Amino acid sequence: MRLPSSQNSFSFRFDSLLPRLVVFGLACSVTEFSQGSPEVASLESHPGAAIYRKMCLECHGETGEGVEGKADDPLYGNRDLESLTGRIERTMPEDEEDLCVGEDARAVAEYIYDAFYSEAARARNTPARVELARLTVPQYRNSVADLILGFRGQIGYGEERGLRAYYYGGYKFNDREEFRKEKKKDRFETRDQQIRFDFGEGTPKREEAREFAPQGFSIRWEGVLLPEETGEYEFVIRTRNGATLWVNENDHNENTGTEKTIDAWVAPGNEVRDEKGTRYLIGGRPYPIRLEFFTYKEKAASIELLWKPPHGVLQTIPTHNLTPDWVHESHVASNPFPADDRSVGYERGTSVSKAWFDAVTAGGIDAADYVVTHLDQLAKTKDDQPDREKKIREFGRLFTERAFRRPLSKEEEKRFVLRHFDEAENAEQAVKRIVLMALTSPRFLYPNLSHGEEPDQWDIANVLALTLWDSLPDERLRNRASNGHLANPNQLGGAVDQMVWDWRTKAKVREFFHHWLELERAVELSKDETVYPEFNDSVLADLRTSLDLFLEEAIWGENADYRQLLLADYLYLNERLGKLYGKPGIKGGFQKVSLDANRRSGLITHPFLLSSLAYHNSTSPIHRGVFLTRNIVGMTLKSPPMANEFKEGKFDPNLTMREKVTEMTRAKACMACHVTINPLGFSLEHYDGIGRWQTKDRNKPVDATSEFLTDSGETIQLTGARDVAEFAANTPSAHRAFIQQVFHHLVKQPVLAYGPDTMEELRSGFAESGFNVPQLLKRVALTAAQGPPADSSGPELSSASR
Amino acid sequence: MTSSLPATRRQFLRDLGVSAAALPFLAGLPGLHAAAGGPGKQRLIIMFSPNGTIPWEFWPEGEGKDFQLKRILQPLAPFRDQMLTLRGVHNKIQGDGDRHMRGMSCLLTGTELFPGNIQGGSDTPAGWASGISIDQELKNFLQSREETSTRFGSLEFGVAVPNRADPWTRMSYSGPNKPVAPIDDPEQMLGRLYGKMKDKESLTSILDEVREDLALVSRKLDSEDKSRLEEHLTLVREMEAELQRSDENSELAHPVPEIDPDIELVNDNTPRISRMQIDLMVNAMANDMTRIATLQFMRSVGQARMNWLGIKDGHHSLSHEPDKNQDAVEKLIKINTWFAEELAYLTRKLADTPEPGADGSMLDHTLIVWLNELGKGNSHTLSDVPFVLLGGKAHGFQMGRSLQFDKVAHNRLWLSVAQSMGHEITTFGTENHCEGGALNLS
Repeated sequence: MRLPSSQNSFSFRFDSLLPRLVVFGLACSVTEFSQGSPEVASLESHPGAAIYRKMCLECHGETGEGVEGKADDPLYGNRDLESLTGRIERTMPEDEEDLCVGEDARAVAEYIYDAFYSEAARARNTPARVELARLTVPQYRNSVADLILGFRGQIGYGEERGLRAYYYGGYKFNDREEFRKEKKKDRFETRDQQIRFDFGEGTPKREEAREFAPQGFSIRWEGVLLPEETGEYEFVIRTRNGATLWVNENDHNENTGTEKTIDAWVAPGNEVRDEKGTRYLIGGRPYPIRLEFFTYKEKAASIELLWKPPHGVLQTIPTHNLTPDWVHESHVASNPFPADDRSVGYERGTSVSKAWFDAVTAGGIDAADYVVTHLDQLAKTKDDQPDREKKIREFGRLFTERAFRRPLSKEEEKRFVLRHFDEAENAEQAVKRIVLMALTSPRFLYPNLSHGEEPDQWDIANVLALTLWDSLPDERLRNRASNGHLANPNQLGGAVDQMVWDWRTKAKVREFFHHWLELERAVELSKDETVYPEFNDSVLADLRTSLDLFLEEAIWGENADYRQLLLADYLYLNERLGKLYGKPGIKGGFQKVSLDANRRSGLITHPFLLSSLAYHNSTSPIHRGVFLTRNIVGMTLKSPPMANEFKEGKFDPNLTMREKVTEMTRAKACMACHVTINPLGFSLEHYDGIGRWQTKDRNKPVDATSEFLTDSGETIQLTGARDVAEFAANTPSAHRAFIQQVFHHLVKQPVLAYGPDTMEELRSGFAESGFNVPQLLKRVALTAAQGPPADSSGPELSSASR
Repeated sequence: MTSSLPATRRQFLRDLGVSAAALPFLAGLPGLHAAAGGPGKQRLIIMFSPNGTIPWEFWPEGEGKDFQLKRILQPLAPFRDQMLTLRGVHNKIQGDGDRHMRGMSCLLTGTELFPGNIQGGSDTPAGWASGISIDQELKNFLQSREETSTRFGSLEFGVAVPNRADPWTRMSYSGPNKPVAPIDDPEQMLGRLYGKMKDKESLTSILDEVREDLALVSRKLDSEDKSRLEEHLTLVREMEAELQRSDENSELAHPVPEIDPDIELVNDNTPRISRMQIDLMVNAMANDMTRIATLQFMRSVGQARMNWLGIKDGHHSLSHEPDKNQDAVEKLIKINTWFAEELAYLTRKLADTPEPGADGSMLDHTLIVWLNELGKGNSHTLSDVPFVLLGGKAHGFQMGRSLQFDKVAHNRLWLSVAQSMGHEITTFGTENHCEGGALNLS
């Protein structure tokens, strides 16, 4: 395989810019070039303009917008000038390819490149801007949770996994209060990785439990639950005995606490039974969890704690979702929301619909109810304290100020806080209105809404929290803002360094990867049982975990490097996956397993991804190829000229998948894109429909080799997945595609709105940092905090502070 | 906004009314026709209080129509002619579980507890009841027929019931191993019955402020961003209009009772919570949302400290004191009299409410059964469970009597109640306790 080094292609790109500037006689920087209209005027006298009008305009339209029935797609793209010239020379005008070659092809390429084809040209023609945006649904849920949580304190968790476990030999259980007060000498504390025990007719099989009697013993587990997805979780206690579960509830008192998640204290008979309860949880956030278990005068004892995550399978709660820490409980806005707009490739808050408004209102009411129910706790007062009213007033002010992400003026305090205390009948009613008012206010819902003044440090704090956490500033960040400690680059860098390593950033980044890898397509993925009998929901759940562990390591681990995402030769496997993916020696839970580097290469060969990019009974080079083209190699693809479903039955059954796809995409119209898609897709043909290594397809040896034409017009030989990974890991256009996805996911505004140089600065910074992803996150956050260039965004938006 | 804020909560709630759901969270309100009832409407209310009674101050002097009320039942004196006391009715269920557990969980089910892991003060450990309770049995019966089915079928009210599920806290069962939890939070019950009325109140009070604020912040935006906020503003206006319309359309045969939804669920608020729950229950029945209801005070072995009666001791501890402890006996009489007062409040409320769409009062169409898990606290006897029946005219019972039975099983009382409501069952719960059939109460 021949691969241009990154150095080469880097300079190549700049070489290609030079003639363009010379041609137009513009001795100016790229920035200046992209600003006004005089250049556009001079473009019209470019020799390419005349050729375009003569040969291209009829089908492509005045400004490349396309003509219905002729060239439907707009003439936009991200090829460079060389590649564009080559393309025109080879393929245009359709069926009369000889008409425009050589100098003419070059001239017309130059013209369209600068008039409308390139990203910079498009940015100039329709300037990207930072739009007023409402909170996206995840931003709303996190903001409401963190806003209320802030009155309790901070939460977080450490590296250790598993739960704290307290074992008791006592058996005086006629009352649960007494059970908890029980102080027995025969007790011990330990850590349990999972809750899944069958004690049979005996006692816990541990040295410390030697004094325990089978007649009666009890165990309490406590710690933190770390769900990955947002949604409804079903919890199941599977036991022969008595148990009670609390999730996201720290008040275990029977008179003051709210509903238990599962009350299975009573065990009729001694049969194993499932007792169920549900909780809505926001993925990536830590929640308190506690399970109490006891057996008394029963023949046998057993206990298992399981869950069924949204779209997941019922399974023992895995070790990596449990930590022995302690955290506060959170309010979770669990009412349904309409999905955010994703039409531009990332979720953003641009759609203001009735369904959204109703959801926000319902969410505000729920939050207000929650606050009033926990008011004394949140306002740090008690029912009988003489200064209770004062503290509650202060709470009302702080709540509103934090919801609006900036201090209130006297006028605002009166309007949003004080008047409610004057008008309501009691403090509770006032607080209810204040909370509802704050959470339905545009000042909360539109975080980049202008406050009419020059942007200040509160705006910076707001943008940083939104970018990295999808939430509002925490106490530390608020303190920095109020003390003026977000003023210079050093202070900003320090703040962002701290934020990047926070669990909230990790949660958002995990979500980004799921989006980037299009993992939603793996939801409820199923495979043909006759072709892949070993594949089931448990395997699917394990693969998802395996991928998450890999991402965690590759992004946040020591010396983590974006290229390792693509090149790593290891996978995380447990016993079940080990058997299926060629490492039968693995026992127990997940561990990092090194594999043959010729057979595995990072993300693109992860069996979870490969399974999701495949048909239920075979591979799918097209799905895999499209994914690699767009998301990994970073080239644009247009939508197919005609819908063409892959129908297995249409082909000679002796053909390999590669042969079928080749036949199906043979047409010239198809090959415009499939010249790229197919080689990339074929390079993964060594992985079957569930991502196992295969050497044969229809009893013929697998052929994963192909020639791949890069954007810059070079042909490289691919022999398999690793060659694709190496190419992407070392190619700036792939880096740019990755950065752009990261930027859009984090900032939820177009990167071009932050200036024409921003992307290139981020890219070179990324390369200089050794492709360190946390560093990239930091740079993106700082870019967002800095805001768009002063002249491209009006004073109406507050996110800018130069 | 000040001008539109009602002067008092009472007036506000009256003005508020209810209607079909205008908003997604104001869901499931009753139709206007719900109040129209047939002449033969029959309801059942079962009220529970725990830890036994003081028999010599509970059971009336004399038998038949000629009887005198003792201290505990004095609050019910105005309803003497609509009352039936049943002495000699025993809970004869044996098997696992101590007597508090069996007293509670076998009371309405008339059947044994499953073996289990819950150890009481004596006997063997036990689990849940092994059968359905009479209230749920009758609910299923009424719900199975169109003319008697209602929106809820049954409602289970609690007062100061701790948040825990075990055989001491559950008397209602929808089937074997299926305890039904009572709702002891009036706010939660109000929400269940009438949607979240108070949400509407809060919303109404803030929407025009939100509208003003939107206009204010919009001024600083350029036209493109402004249009987004304008969409938002339109939605606020629409919601205001919807709220207004739902006010205008609202009409209910019996207005929603006035309760303070923010009441704290603490011991000392028990008397207020009790009255709220009773108000809600009568109201729900007046609007024919249910014909079966239970009202559970505390729980078996409950340790309520009735400060409002000047009693600092826990109820259950007091109930263990020997008869010679005059002080304890006096307190227990007070406690049981207080329960009788709550019953009298319920009875009065029903007696004062005309039966919708029929002659007489709601009490005429309602049978109330007051009971306890024990006959007497310090002996833990399940004999002579203090059964008092009230109302019951439409059930064909001959009221105004004090009856003495000869150690009959309480299963037979449930047969009488079931048959009086048209449910012709000949056994309920453990079959051999049904021998002799329904008790003759007519």
